[in-house]
Amino acid sequence: MDDVLVLKDYKTIPDIVHEYAPSLKFGHIPLVIDNGSYQCRVGWSIYDEPYLTFKNLIARPRKDRCKKDADPPVTPPIQIGNDIVNIEAVRFQLKTQFDKNIVTHFEVQEQVCDYIFSHLGIDSEGHVPHPIVMTEAFVTPNYSRQLMSELLFEAYGIPAVSYGVDSLFSFYRNGIGDTALIVNCGYHTIHFIPVLKGKVVAERARRINLGGSEIISYMHKLLQLKYPVHVNAITMSRIEEILHEHCSIALDYQEEIRKWANPDYYEANVKRVQLPFVQSSSSSTLTAEQQKERKKEMARRLLEINARKREERLLEDEEQLNQLLALQELIEDGETDEFNEAIKAFDIKNYGDLQRQIANLNVRIEKNKQRIAAAANAEEVVETRPAGRYQPPNDPEAFQVWLEETRAKYREVSARREARRARRAAMAKRRTAAAAERMRAISRLAAAGDDFGYRDSDWDVYKSISREADSDSEADGERLVELEEALREYEPAQPSQYHHQLHLAIEPIRAPELMFQPSMMGNLEAGLAETMEYVFKHFSEEDQLLLANNVFLTGGCSQFPGLKERLERELLEMRPFQSSHKVVMAKNPNLDAWYGARDFAGSNDFEDWCISKEEYYEMGGEYLKEHHASNRYYKSPAPLIDNTLTPAGDANVVKEEIVVDC
Amino acid sequence: MWRSLKQILTTERTLPWPEEAVLYYSINAPPTFKPTKKYSDISGLPAPYIDRHSKLFYSNAEEFATVRSLPMDITAGYLQLRGASTIVG
Repeated sequence: MDDVLVLKDYKTIPDIVHEYAPSLKFGHIPLVIDNGSYQCRVGWSIYDEPYLTFKNLIARPRKDRCKKDADPPVTPPIQIGNDIVNIEAVRFQLKTQFDKNIVTHFEVQEQVCDYIFSHLGIDSEGHVPHPIVMTEAFVTPNYSRQLMSELLFEAYGIPAVSYGVDSLFSFYRNGIGDTALIVNCGYHTIHFIPVLKGKVVAERARRINLGGSEIISYMHKLLQLKYPVHVNAITMSRIEEILHEHCSIALDYQEEIRKWANPDYYEANVKRVQLPFVQSSSSSTLTAEQQKERKKEMARRLLEINARKREERLLEDEEQLNQLLALQELIEDGETDEFNEAIKAFDIKNYGDLQRQIANLNVRIEKNKQRIAAAANAEEVVETRPAGRYQPPNDPEAFQVWLEETRAKYREVSARREARRARRAAMAKRRTAAAAERMRAISRLAAAGDDFGYRDSDWDVYKSISREADSDSEADGERLVELEEALREYEPAQPSQYHHQLHLAIEPIRAPELMFQPSMMGNLEAGLAETMEYVFKHFSEEDQLLLANNVFLTGGCSQFPGLKERLERELLEMRPFQSSHKVVMAKNPNLDAWYGARDFAGSNDFEDWCISKEEYYEMGGEYLKEHHASNRYYKSPAPLIDNTLTPAGDANVVKEEIVVDC
Repeated sequence: MWRSLKQILTTERTLPWPEEAVLYYSINAPPTFKPTKKYSDISGLPAPYIDRHSKLFYSNAEEFATVRSLPMDITAGYLQLRGASTIVG
């Protein structure tokens, strides 16, 4: 399989500010917010699709350290949701209002709300004149709801709010009867919510504290450990992409992973993911040969220049010699006057000087002639490389053999060095076999008689008990360096993209398998199938059958291919022989909760299910009006007052505040 | 004032709730009763062996060689990923 998966590195597109039409402004149109811990979806109840869908995250950049004389520091703007174009750049500054699946950071929630309302274009003065339908987690603590209501009513002045559970909205949206076991696989949790004849059996519901985010970080860590070289290239968002597009749930995990032990199966099925990489620059790869060529060329040119210079000089010298010889002839002919005239031009004092100069010139010419001859010979000599011990043969086949041998040698030497190192490390620790062996050697050494040292091999005992690197390892180290150099020089360079590929074998099924086996990451909770069995066990036979015949799968993580089949298989295993069961997938696991909430906001009874501002003031922030898709409301009991402690509980303080606001 | 989910839940637990109230902590999944399966830390294959030195699981001789050659930080990372990195033991 040669096709390589290329990462797309999706970028978000910043949201536009939508138009706030007068029909919306004065129509008292409910606003529907599916406030999920992964994504937030917002839209008007009269439209089919949500206007905004963004990750529930904000990036709060750190303030620049203020220099004393500089202008007051420019605080970079807070980025929210889809404004964060490159999420990896701000990975460490990301904040979310969620702790697990519950909203706890209301400062962040307020910023997210600002983002929502401003992007919907709401421009009314000081308040948001729309009732809101907001989703919340199953069995949200009252405290969290109280703060949410406080935020919505006090900070935004909304007229009314209604809370519902996302998975219940999704369930009713899909219209598959009024009895089901809802399995909601979310970003932080998996919920099992049994619904019997339209009634949520909350006390039998269960939650596994594990979800998409855990699967992502598991896969992230796994790949980082597998490829320590690419730690920085393996980013969360890339893992998310791999998870969304290439991962699945195995029908039979044990059998599936056993297949991977076979190397042929591995080769045929491994997924190769290409990480982005920079083609290593020209200097190293394409010129290993060319550089050599260029050097040779340069040397040749230098030689040529030298030769030309020598020849020129030779000509010059010969010319001068001829002139001087002519002068000599003059004096030999006895024409002294003419000679005296002539030597002035040549800067020669007398006859002796002339003769010396002639002799000098003769020597120089002779030398030059010799040099030129030598240079001519040298060109014909094939230059020999100053070579190390490891020279490859020229024949390509022999070269392959040589390469293999050198590699083997390299491996052998480095293995030997590793073994020695490991032994030394073990020796340094107490109570290891190596340390015991060393102690034995030492005691033997102490007991050795006078004949110690007669044989040279006696001295090797010091090598075996020494904790420092000995001469053997030095020799090996040198050899290793030589081999390394030889390999680096002659090994054919691999195209660098292969170094930037991730091989995914079991990982694409291993990470989602966490849902069924949380023990793989040290989570001691029961997995999806086991918890489901546990939930079933607490119902009567008839109810069990009803629930099993309508297992409803929703939530983002339920979109792993194969999850439905796997669940059916698990149900077949856990249910009584020949009993029926059925798994239903939500039509749109991501958005059905929002659609359901929108339908709810559009229904005729919506007004009755809303908590109005008056009710908020009267009943307190945690108050909830129950409806078919909501949590149950249990009024928080007054805390037991322990007189031994200071009585200033938080609940009291908050209540006082509410009274003041009235 | 900001409180983490853990703090919120602790406060919630201390209140005298009525019998029938279902709270966040009361719907936690049960602990698993099935024996946990061992998978090789590096490949994910079923792992019958444990390296006594690094405490990593491995599935065959080849992997054992790899396990032994891993640096400390990688083995520690694998253990942490499996949730087996306790200070004691």
